[in-house]
Amino acid sequence: MTGYLQCGRSSGNALPQLASSREISLHFPPILPLFSLTLLVASFPANFSRPPFLLPLNLTWSDEQSAMASNGHSSPFGQATPNGNSNSSQTPRRSSRRRTNNSNSSPASSPFPLETPPSRPAGVASTPTTSRRRGTRHNPNATPSTPLSTDDAVPPYSSDRDENDNMETDGQDDTTPVFVWGTNISVQEVNGAILRFLRHFRDARSASESSEAADLMSEGKYMRVVHRIMELEGAESLDIDAHDVFEYDPDLYNKMVRYPLEVLAIFDIVLMDLVARIDPLFEKHIQTRIHNLKSSVCMRNLNPSDIEKMVSIKGMIIRCSSIIPELKEAIFRCLVCGFYSDPVLVDRGRINEPTRCLREECKAMNSMSLVHNRCRFADKQIVKLQETPDEIPEGGTPHTVSVLMHDKLVDAGKPGDRVEITGIYRAMSVRVGPSQRTVKSIFKTYIDCLHLKKTDKSRLQIDDSVNHDANNNAANHEEDDASLYHDKIEKLKELSKLPDIYDRLTRSLAPNIWELDDVKRGLLCQLFGGNALKLGSSGASLRGDINILLVGDPGTSKSQLLQYMHKLSPRGIYTSGRGSSAVGLTAYVTKDPETGETVLESGALVLSDRGVCCIDEFDKMSDNARSMLHEVMEQQTVSIAKAGIIASLNARTSVLACANPSESRYNPRLSVIDNIHLPPTLLSRFDLIYLILDKADEQTDRRLAKHIVSLFFQNPDNSVHEVLDLTTLVAYISYAKKHIHPVLSDEAAEELTRQYVQMRQRGNTPGSRKKVITATARQIESLIRLSEALARMRFSQVVEVGDVAEAFRLLEVALQQSATDHSTGTIDMDLIMTGISASERTRRENILAATRNLVMEKLVTGGPAVRALELLEELKKQSSMEVHLSDLKIALSTLTSEGLVVFHGDTIKRI
Amino acid sequence: MGGPQYDLLMNPLGAVRQTFEKAVASSQPSGLDPTAVYRGKDWGIVDVLNQFLFSQGGLAQVPILDASSLKWIKPNTLVRFRGMVQDMLGNEFYIGAFKDGCTWRTNKFLDFSPFSVPPVSETTLWERHLFHCVPVPGQNSWAIESTPYPLKINISNEMTCQHGEKRRRDDDPDGISDFDCCDEGSSSSNKKQKDCGSASHHKIAEITNGSSFPTKSFSCLVKVYDMPESQFKLNEVVEFIGIYTFDPELTTSDRSDNVDDNMSMFDFMDDVATHLPPSKVPRIHCLVSQKLSTQDLISNSPACEPLPNVIRGIRDSLVSYLSCTLGNDVIAAQCLLLHLLSKLRVKSDVASVGRLSLNLTGFTQESASIFGKQLNNAIKTLLPYSHTIPLTIEYLNTAMLQPKKDNESGRLLMGALQLASGTHLTLDETVMQSGTLNSKGVENVLLLKHLMEHQIVEYDFQFYKLEMATEVQCLIISEAKSNILPADLVVPVCPSAVAPVSASEEQLHAWRWYLTTVRSLPYSTDTSICEMLQNEMVEAMRKDRSLGCSDLSRWMTMAQLMAASFGEKSFSVEHWQMVKEIERLRKERL
Repeated sequence: MTGYLQCGRSSGNALPQLASSREISLHFPPILPLFSLTLLVASFPANFSRPPFLLPLNLTWSDEQSAMASNGHSSPFGQATPNGNSNSSQTPRRSSRRRTNNSNSSPASSPFPLETPPSRPAGVASTPTTSRRRGTRHNPNATPSTPLSTDDAVPPYSSDRDENDNMETDGQDDTTPVFVWGTNISVQEVNGAILRFLRHFRDARSASESSEAADLMSEGKYMRVVHRIMELEGAESLDIDAHDVFEYDPDLYNKMVRYPLEVLAIFDIVLMDLVARIDPLFEKHIQTRIHNLKSSVCMRNLNPSDIEKMVSIKGMIIRCSSIIPELKEAIFRCLVCGFYSDPVLVDRGRINEPTRCLREECKAMNSMSLVHNRCRFADKQIVKLQETPDEIPEGGTPHTVSVLMHDKLVDAGKPGDRVEITGIYRAMSVRVGPSQRTVKSIFKTYIDCLHLKKTDKSRLQIDDSVNHDANNNAANHEEDDASLYHDKIEKLKELSKLPDIYDRLTRSLAPNIWELDDVKRGLLCQLFGGNALKLGSSGASLRGDINILLVGDPGTSKSQLLQYMHKLSPRGIYTSGRGSSAVGLTAYVTKDPETGETVLESGALVLSDRGVCCIDEFDKMSDNARSMLHEVMEQQTVSIAKAGIIASLNARTSVLACANPSESRYNPRLSVIDNIHLPPTLLSRFDLIYLILDKADEQTDRRLAKHIVSLFFQNPDNSVHEVLDLTTLVAYISYAKKHIHPVLSDEAAEELTRQYVQMRQRGNTPGSRKKVITATARQIESLIRLSEALARMRFSQVVEVGDVAEAFRLLEVALQQSATDHSTGTIDMDLIMTGISASERTRRENILAATRNLVMEKLVTGGPAVRALELLEELKKQSSMEVHLSDLKIALSTLTSEGLVVFHGDTIKRI
Repeated sequence: MGGPQYDLLMNPLGAVRQTFEKAVASSQPSGLDPTAVYRGKDWGIVDVLNQFLFSQGGLAQVPILDASSLKWIKPNTLVRFRGMVQDMLGNEFYIGAFKDGCTWRTNKFLDFSPFSVPPVSETTLWERHLFHCVPVPGQNSWAIESTPYPLKINISNEMTCQHGEKRRRDDDPDGISDFDCCDEGSSSSNKKQKDCGSASHHKIAEITNGSSFPTKSFSCLVKVYDMPESQFKLNEVVEFIGIYTFDPELTTSDRSDNVDDNMSMFDFMDDVATHLPPSKVPRIHCLVSQKLSTQDLISNSPACEPLPNVIRGIRDSLVSYLSCTLGNDVIAAQCLLLHLLSKLRVKSDVASVGRLSLNLTGFTQESASIFGKQLNNAIKTLLPYSHTIPLTIEYLNTAMLQPKKDNESGRLLMGALQLASGTHLTLDETVMQSGTLNSKGVENVLLLKHLMEHQIVEYDFQFYKLEMATEVQCLIISEAKSNILPADLVVPVCPSAVAPVSASEEQLHAWRWYLTTVRSLPYSTDTSICEMLQNEMVEAMRKDRSLGCSDLSRWMTMAQLMAASFGEKSFSVEHWQMVKEIERLRKERL
């Protein structure tokens, strides 16, 4: 006689029209609690066309089984066998005796030692399951020889088992292994594999540390966890890392993923047995929760072949149902005599209500009523999971999938959470209507959740690793992904080794905005940022963020740059100064309208912590609001003392502001400071202040024209090439920010000091009558930051002299200081306009040198003044090139700034 | 040989069955499991259908499913449906093939199984994709193809003979009220249909009165087989030819579903299709589908190659028609023509090339009522899809412009800005009064602004926003330059005379053909004039310092459009000069 393991994990409501397909299934009340998880599924008020869980739990013994088993493979659904019914009557009796056998794991001391009520088998028979798809040929003899029983003390219930064994041997003598039907799963084998895994799996790390002897002594990783769970008594589940399973036994892993229902059931049994062995009185059922599968599926790619398999899916919870209490055990009371029935267990989503009182004396018909507060319920919840935006293809809408949560998993995630779910993908058929018998040919699919992990606790994490790959990598340790990630890193590193990486990055930043290369370089520095320093004991910190102010004529695409930066920065906030108030930028306290509690609300600066806060129209902002920025820009915190709340919030943000000059167009007659018209206290907090002037310059115009034309013609020759695309750029920046922390080299430090002193002196030029932004201590900090950022761009751990030099150049260029007349504080527009081409510059340098020589030769210190025209004549004589008066004037003005001569009107005097 | 034994029109399912059986039979000897062979594949029915439709001219005989024809088209027959993919409802697993006794049967192209489904082992699950499609929003009546009259009579007669069962249809006026187009005409036609309603006897009468207006709430659930889901994108206009299914039993049961308390929990699991009961939303099992471009809507287009002189002739007549519409303002008419021809060509991070949104200014409320109306009419008769949004404070504060995902029902609610690509959008700012915008109003304005600047509409998915590229031509009518919505080109209109505008059907047809053809012409680049253009630009910038990048790129766009309007692929100096002249005249008016 062959044993059929008809698995009892549920089969939903049986289909009446299929009643003919006779199937005898026995019930195993003591086992059922084990599978509460899956039982819930079963009790869906829908018909399952097949039992969702078929487990080797309930035994069906019938005489024709060997015959059926032989043809079982070709038609597993066992069409009704005529003589089958003859056996149904004896089934219940047998089952109750036999139950402990199949589960040598199921302890006799089960917490629910319920006997099947006499009425049950009848009920079962009347609602036969639709299939016996995964019946198992069962060899009873083999069962006791599973590793479970091979070691340790004889379990207390062994006698019981022996008795059953005898029973089985009565019927069957051969020793074929037990397979779950339709699979290559041998129950014993899997049983053993799981037990071995649980007992002996050790982390590779800990194993290497300990000696072999100690290794043998110490318990396996999961044994420790089991012990801990038992000690705590609070936990109800054992989390098992699928990677561990794979490492220990790839075959078991594959079986588990392919046939999760069966393998998990065995897992549970083994675990239960294990627990019972350690402490027979431990009553809680520990569930196995598998997580961290080796590969996760994209929701979009779930297809029919994934059904009944274990899948891992990432997504965002968009909706949670209310918690559904599900009846698991019902107790009835007789209205006539007050007799309480034994708990009635849910059977395939149904409770068989006793039709008459069970008490001999009463036996009243239809008197039993449900006692709600004595029934047992379990929690259930349906959650809708939606694809995350990055998985949605262009022009598509996100997919959703339903996920069924049980017990502890209920309310584990809230709408809006990004989660990774491990579960079993299932399908169930849809009835046309509750009254109809026909089943629609459509299947509803859902995932039975086994494990839920929140992949991103908050936005912060996503933002910190802007790089999607880094993100993925953190979330799952897929090998493919990891290797992909490493490939990417290698590529980034290769990029960083390019000699022109700095220029290339510059070109890649807002490639559609032409010119403004130096501004872009500054913005690039801002994106990379310097190192934030925490001064150990004092707790003071030096910011690493670089603040930039763009001041410029209207129509110089400042706003576009801002928009671009907003797009690029990990968590950029874009606000307009006109619409921002002080509180809107920092933080404010409000009263919650419902509770009346005071609540602290973050403003834009706090929200862009570790990002870039872009403030457009900075000049239109009220003074009050601007003054709030003082603290943020240096201390990087926002302090609030209001309505009883005293708080200091982090606002480690780089500020990128842009403003128009005070008279909306740059007035060359006024000094830079007067044009910007912002308090120096605030100005000094900006590391770089860029003057973007709309210079009438044919070269620029030509380049602009060329740019536009090329945009239209899409001429490959004209278009900018060798540009990093946006994602690469973002990846590059985030990698650098995360992993590169450059330190100043000694030479660089020296160069820094030297240049700084020089800069200080320049501000003190005699005769300067307007306030000029002189170098302050703040400036040296920002120079360090800039040079650090520049080193980061090269993925260099050391700041070199070149970086420092470039930092100084950036600072100079920013204010167009090279063109600033330090004696007046104004910008010499002529200087800017002409000072473009390199050849022009060398020519001018030549003239300057010639003029200097001439002045040194001809003029005596404090001597009489000379007319400029005379000098010009002299120059023309001396040099071979053509010299104009304007050239001379430029040279002279440079000499003036050097303090060599005084230039009044048309006369020159040496001092 | 010997053609299909089944009438593909009236009994396509028969053909499906027949071809399936044949295919199974042919695969049997090779010992392969037919279900495995035909999963996700076609077994020949599509070929049969293609041959019938396109080689044997069967296409014309296939009735078009719309709100009016829904009343008389028989279920399980072949229909055509033209619509926009409004929402993607994911995929659906169904029992694709199963063994009934010893023969394999298929459920493909069916809602439910006509036979009782055997146990699981003898079935295989296949997969199909669900799309919710609606008639293209803003589709103008001339572009709507409806079933030719004789065909209707023919089919409906056949129906009455067969005393088709009286269908229970929910003639619920607020059936699906998501589609709040401001389409006035439809409500009345809706009413009409409601009157004639469920009684199938009235169908002849019904056919005769306005079938050209799509009912507001009409939509279709299209089930598409055997193709990657990415085949269709959101907001694409597609023609589906497939089997229309309707089962009265399903209707009743759906109704009872809602009543059944037991189902309330289960409802949560249910996919979105429950919110689209088959009684209101017909199902189409798609056999053949093709994406439609605007050109496909112009029926019997002149087959001739776009010859320069023909094009020029049409162009001239169209300009004079447009200038008539605008009170004999030729400059504005020229600009309007360029605007109508504009199309987004290239899109990069910051700049988008090729679009030319137009702001016609100088309208007062009175003149807007005359010219605005004329303009609207002109656009309606010229372009296949057009939409007008009155920018009143009230409208902005209340209207739902942004498409929004309703996670409760799992549906994407259609906002007014969910438009098919190539739709023309007219924004009437003349009706705006001073007032306060609430937060929704501000959001709506920002949405419009974003659309104009980047041709992108943000769809609200509750937890995040998803940007959808939308190609829409925007025309703003306002009193003075609109500061709310930044248009590329601002043209003050100076109407000199109010002339009645008229055009013959022939002319209209030529113009429609002209507009769609020219718009779809490819541009080629002639690099020889690059240098000249650059010089011109530098010169212009020297003269006028206020010229920015946007002005220059607009000139380029206009020059290109100008060239295209003459049917030429690349522009020459001549076109550049014309644009400069228009620019000069325009500047004078500002």
